[in-house]
Amino acid sequence: MGEPGELAADEHVRYIVTAEKKKDSFESLVMEHLRLSGAYWGLTTLDLLHKLQAVDAREVVDWIMSCYHPESGGFAGNVGHDPHVLYTLSAVQVLCLFDRLDVLDVDKIADYVAGLQKEDGSFAGDIWGEVDTRFSYISICTLSLLHRLHKINVEKAVEYIVSCKNLDGGFGAMPGGESHAGQIFCCVGALAITGSLHHVDRDLLGWWLCERQCRDGGLNGRPEKLADVCYSWWVLSSLIMIDRVHWIDKEKLAKFILNCQDKENGGISDRPDNAVDIYHTYFGVAGLSLMEYPGVKPMDPAYALPLDVVNRIFLRKQQ
Amino acid sequence: MVESGAGAGDLLLHDFERILHDDPNIDEVGFLHPTQMDSLPLLGSNKSPYLWCSDHKLAISTHVLPDLYRAARQAHSKAATTSPSADAPALIMLHSKALLILCPDSFTAWNSRKKVLSADHNLTQLEAELQFCALILSYALKNESTWSHRRWVITKLAQSHQDMPQIIDKESVLVKQIAEKSKMNYRAWRHRCWLIPYMKPKQVLDELNKSIKWGELHVADNCCFHYRRSLLLALLDNRSEENGGDTLHWESEAHLLWTEELRWNEMLIRRYQGRESLWTHRRFLSQWWVQRLLSHEETGLSKEESLADIFLGQEIQLLSDCLDAPGDEFGETRIQAELAALYILWISKQDAVVKRKVEERLELLGSLKEVLAKACPGKSRLWTQLLQC
Repeated sequence: MGEPGELAADEHVRYIVTAEKKKDSFESLVMEHLRLSGAYWGLTTLDLLHKLQAVDAREVVDWIMSCYHPESGGFAGNVGHDPHVLYTLSAVQVLCLFDRLDVLDVDKIADYVAGLQKEDGSFAGDIWGEVDTRFSYISICTLSLLHRLHKINVEKAVEYIVSCKNLDGGFGAMPGGESHAGQIFCCVGALAITGSLHHVDRDLLGWWLCERQCRDGGLNGRPEKLADVCYSWWVLSSLIMIDRVHWIDKEKLAKFILNCQDKENGGISDRPDNAVDIYHTYFGVAGLSLMEYPGVKPMDPAYALPLDVVNRIFLRKQQ
Repeated sequence: MVESGAGAGDLLLHDFERILHDDPNIDEVGFLHPTQMDSLPLLGSNKSPYLWCSDHKLAISTHVLPDLYRAARQAHSKAATTSPSADAPALIMLHSKALLILCPDSFTAWNSRKKVLSADHNLTQLEAELQFCALILSYALKNESTWSHRRWVITKLAQSHQDMPQIIDKESVLVKQIAEKSKMNYRAWRHRCWLIPYMKPKQVLDELNKSIKWGELHVADNCCFHYRRSLLLALLDNRSEENGGDTLHWESEAHLLWTEELRWNEMLIRRYQGRESLWTHRRFLSQWWVQRLLSHEETGLSKEESLADIFLGQEIQLLSDCLDAPGDEFGETRIQAELAALYILWISKQDAVVKRKVEERLELLGSLKEVLAKACPGKSRLWTQLLQC
């Protein structure tokens, strides 16, 4: 066990590897529809902690492919569920971790995602048509990782995201939607990937994002909310992308995250003394990665993958 | 768990679905510990000890949740994937209902309902679907899949030219009730904002009036104030389009609307110390207001004392009052002073003219930097950078 204030890396690895095996509780059952996202959170954390080899890559890849819908080209969150872009990105990201994009019918998947773009540039999450800036990010990120951004109208996609900008510099889920750190990450990430960050008022958005830091050092997602470890990722990555991360107190934030660890059994919770889960474990470690915490691999703030994984994808393309 | 054996879950599901069928107006669901189940009034013989329903209130024992869930999931999956038959739609609706009550996140189950509802254009069924969503939202108040499904149903209703003003009224009431039970519920308020483009200007005004009281009772709920901002902006958009020929009339109406909102907001700020959402709202209001006053000065509409100057003077007075307030044990006045100072910084960042005007008026309190250093030393990293850029 690490000293107080240090990252209990070994315990977190053990927590993630064993969490996979406890599938029978009702809490796990009702989460089964998003198991692919759970896999992304857990496996990315393992990779950040240099422990991806703790799982059997072939087994993971086989299971991921069992969630694939060849007729649509999308992935479901689990076997027996409908496809959605949320899980399509998670599948692509996990395959990136294992350097196994070769198992994909890349054009089929890219066509599925591109087919969900609407006339106004926005993206639906699936065939049922709900539009959200989260889906804009997911689509753009997926297509970029697959080197297929040309399949969509990027200009229109950017135009739509910009139409969701508020007077406070932030972004919401739709035009006129309330600014929210998670939505801001999506919009800023999509603009970063498409080389369109000039649409962001960096000082204004940086201001809004910095005001998310609470007295306890943690970050919240909107005014008047309590700090939550997951915003360490959403807010920090956005601040890094717009080059305003030096505006917040990183030391206090790192302390807040480390205080949310279960140092005995592993895992990180949303705030001190709450129950841990995979989601917050991932966002806690990813947040520390963005602050260059020793022993944690650096993360790419836009693609939400370890930097070496992203480099492998784009440098190989150039060769 | 229930008696072991493959059929136990199926029997439970059968009982559960019979209850759902017999009472289509269930309006509350509770998941109770077995000991709590024992304390419920008896409902006659032959009833399952794990399920209870009376007066449209449904109780399910947590003891049987995994078995019941597995049985519902299996039955639904079988109905949704087997080849289409005459009774398939009814089976899908039946099993997905059971499954969704247990797990509202199961968007695949919601999708299967969309498929059935799309095939059969039946308004009564669409309205019943809204009622079913409301039941789920009564206990899963932030459930994304349910809110999304609800929007899908409303879009369908709008396409069949249903009475939108009435639908919007009902949605507003629903969001209000849910927002009372769960504070700052982003998804609920997003739903309400999503409806704004369906509103006529009169309904936008109605919604503004209706949310006054709510805002006053929930001053920390930024969502409600954001909703008001969206309504105000919608009104500006609508009016500028519709009243092309009657600019002056609309000008004075917008003027009135804004002064009233500013006055209301100041009253709340002075009454409830240290509320971030109130100051966030004021930033928005002032930003538009100052721009407007300045543009009037440029066009020479205002011949008397500069309205922008008067307004900025009032805002500095508000800051001064916040800085001078005696401290309290909860530290609220300290937060109030911090928010007030950052608010003035916000105004000063609008443009160079405003910045100069603010600095002139600040003189008695010191420079902006001195005010910030005194009121928000903890945020120096932020404002030092902002003063420079």
